[in-house]
Amino acid sequence: MTIQAMNKVILASGAALMLTVGAAEAQQKTLTISVYALAQDEYKQIVYDPFEKICGCKLVVETGNSVERLAKMEANKANPVVDMAVISMADALAASRAGLIDKVDTSKLSNFGKLYDVAKDPNKDGMSVGYTFYATSIAYRSDKMKIDSWADLLKPEYASHVAWPNVTTNQGPPALYMLGLALAKDTADLKAPIEAVGAKKAEIVTFYEKSSQLVQLMQQEEIWAAPIGRFTWAPFTKLGFPIAWAMPKEGQTGGMNVMVATKGSKNKDLALQFMDYWISTEVQTKLAEKLIDSPANKDVKLSDAIANNLTYGEETAKSLKLIPSAVALDNRAGWIKTWNEKVGQ
Amino acid sequence: MFQNRTEALALALPAAIFAAAVFLVPVVILLSDGFRVPTGGWTISAYTDFFSNSLNQAVFLRTLRLGALVTIASAVIGYAAAFAIVSLEPGAKGKVTGLVVLPLMISPVARTYAWIVILGRTGIVNQAFQALGITEAPLRILFSETAIFIGLLQLFLPLMIISLISALENMPKDAIPAARVLGANWFQVFWKVVLPLTKEGLVIGGTLVFTGSLTAYITPAILGGSKVLMLETLLYQQVAVSNNFVAASVIAFILIVMSFAANILLKRVATARNKQRSQA
Repeated sequence: MTIQAMNKVILASGAALMLTVGAAEAQQKTLTISVYALAQDEYKQIVYDPFEKICGCKLVVETGNSVERLAKMEANKANPVVDMAVISMADALAASRAGLIDKVDTSKLSNFGKLYDVAKDPNKDGMSVGYTFYATSIAYRSDKMKIDSWADLLKPEYASHVAWPNVTTNQGPPALYMLGLALAKDTADLKAPIEAVGAKKAEIVTFYEKSSQLVQLMQQEEIWAAPIGRFTWAPFTKLGFPIAWAMPKEGQTGGMNVMVATKGSKNKDLALQFMDYWISTEVQTKLAEKLIDSPANKDVKLSDAIANNLTYGEETAKSLKLIPSAVALDNRAGWIKTWNEKVGQ
Repeated sequence: MFQNRTEALALALPAAIFAAAVFLVPVVILLSDGFRVPTGGWTISAYTDFFSNSLNQAVFLRTLRLGALVTIASAVIGYAAAFAIVSLEPGAKGKVTGLVVLPLMISPVARTYAWIVILGRTGIVNQAFQALGITEAPLRILFSETAIFIGLLQLFLPLMIISLISALENMPKDAIPAARVLGANWFQVFWKVVLPLTKEGLVIGGTLVFTGSLTAYITPAILGGSKVLMLETLLYQQVAVSNNFVAASVIAFILIVMSFAANILLKRVATARNKQRSQA
């Protein structure tokens, strides 16, 4: 081997060594996120894997429902495991009150300006950024009934064909809130609407806990109508019945999921980079096209077929009557108590 | 078998350590939540709170009632079925027993969803009732105690039948003919001969069915829903929705106590009958 050749080998192996060291250092950077256990295969393909390539870091994903995940964050408060989490608006306020999260430095989010206004700072405390929202209204058999108001569901001729969301579901309180508006008795304790539902509890077919159950009930003609989130709408359109999405005069309600950054996280910048990636037009478009999350980024352009299955557009975003997080948080226990007294027994 | 007790204990140690570490300790920690005062010390106030709530009382009584009804119904049907199976030829016996066990191999979720189809407004039961003129409008069966009762009975009946089959097989073959020859009617044969001789099977089957009914989650969740809460569905609500682990721990403790109580009670009933007989 000539000296030149040897030099080349040494250089090459040195370069290879440096590459491995570089990779190893990057591998040491780990971002731990806590998310809902939904559509994880798609998230991995659309969000997690591409992000790992961009940041040269490792993503650890923890899943579970929001109650479990919040309890875990609380338990690890002194020594946070999770760097960022996606939770509901109201849970974000709960986490903020419990001192579990920090303000989100939106100046580091290059895509922040592209968000609908309603998603920019849902709780008006700078602690969270919305990444998806959904409308909640009434899916109903348009050949059997006519729904112009949330109160129509309790009409004597309709009530025995209705499934109402249990107060413990995500759709429960918003539906009651809208019923309260319809009854012109919209107090934060939801007393009037809960009583109104309680008065019809014998007629109402069931108080559902899983929206997946509703498709079967609708198919068997066990029910004609139910308040649902827009994200469960698609299967109803395929049942072969004339099923419509109501536009009640009181409006539609809904919910929003947000991203939060854990207080005391050692990977704050990486967490912000990840949030920025998630709300980018590219990622939000792909998630929307797979019907996973309605986009909170207003630059996302969708075909009518896709948009019809999601909560889409500036007008829709503006029209949603969401329960303020503080109201939800301060009243949740009371709602369940009143519900159990008036409806549960 | 062993030279001394130490050897036997040493052999049992790995299993005992495993059970203690992964079962006993977590259960004790979980249950202690229901008795602990957040500021330190112990209390039973979580229990008095639980039972002073009228919803909880209703749910507790409903769980007890449905558990008892399902156990009684499965014992009645189980004896009839077990008698029929035991009297079959050996080949047929194996096949029929296999059929009885078959539902246990199907996921409870699938089984319970099938009941939604059967019991629904447009389901087979309502269609038959209307065709026969028993009812004019479809009955509301789903999301009621009746639906839960039917679902639980189907779920746990095989356990009772299997327990009773093995009990009946262990019964002396001549016992029934002997009783008949001595002039006992069929009711007396069952009450004075068969029942005492198969009580072990009844106790085992009864405990399995009763504790199963108390602790089943999927069936009451799907067929009853939140409209007809049972302790198990209430427990889920406390954990997953209200994040109230104290109330959940209270319910878990009540369920455990009810299961033990059922077993002890059934055994008592069996031995009490024994004493009666030996005294007589």
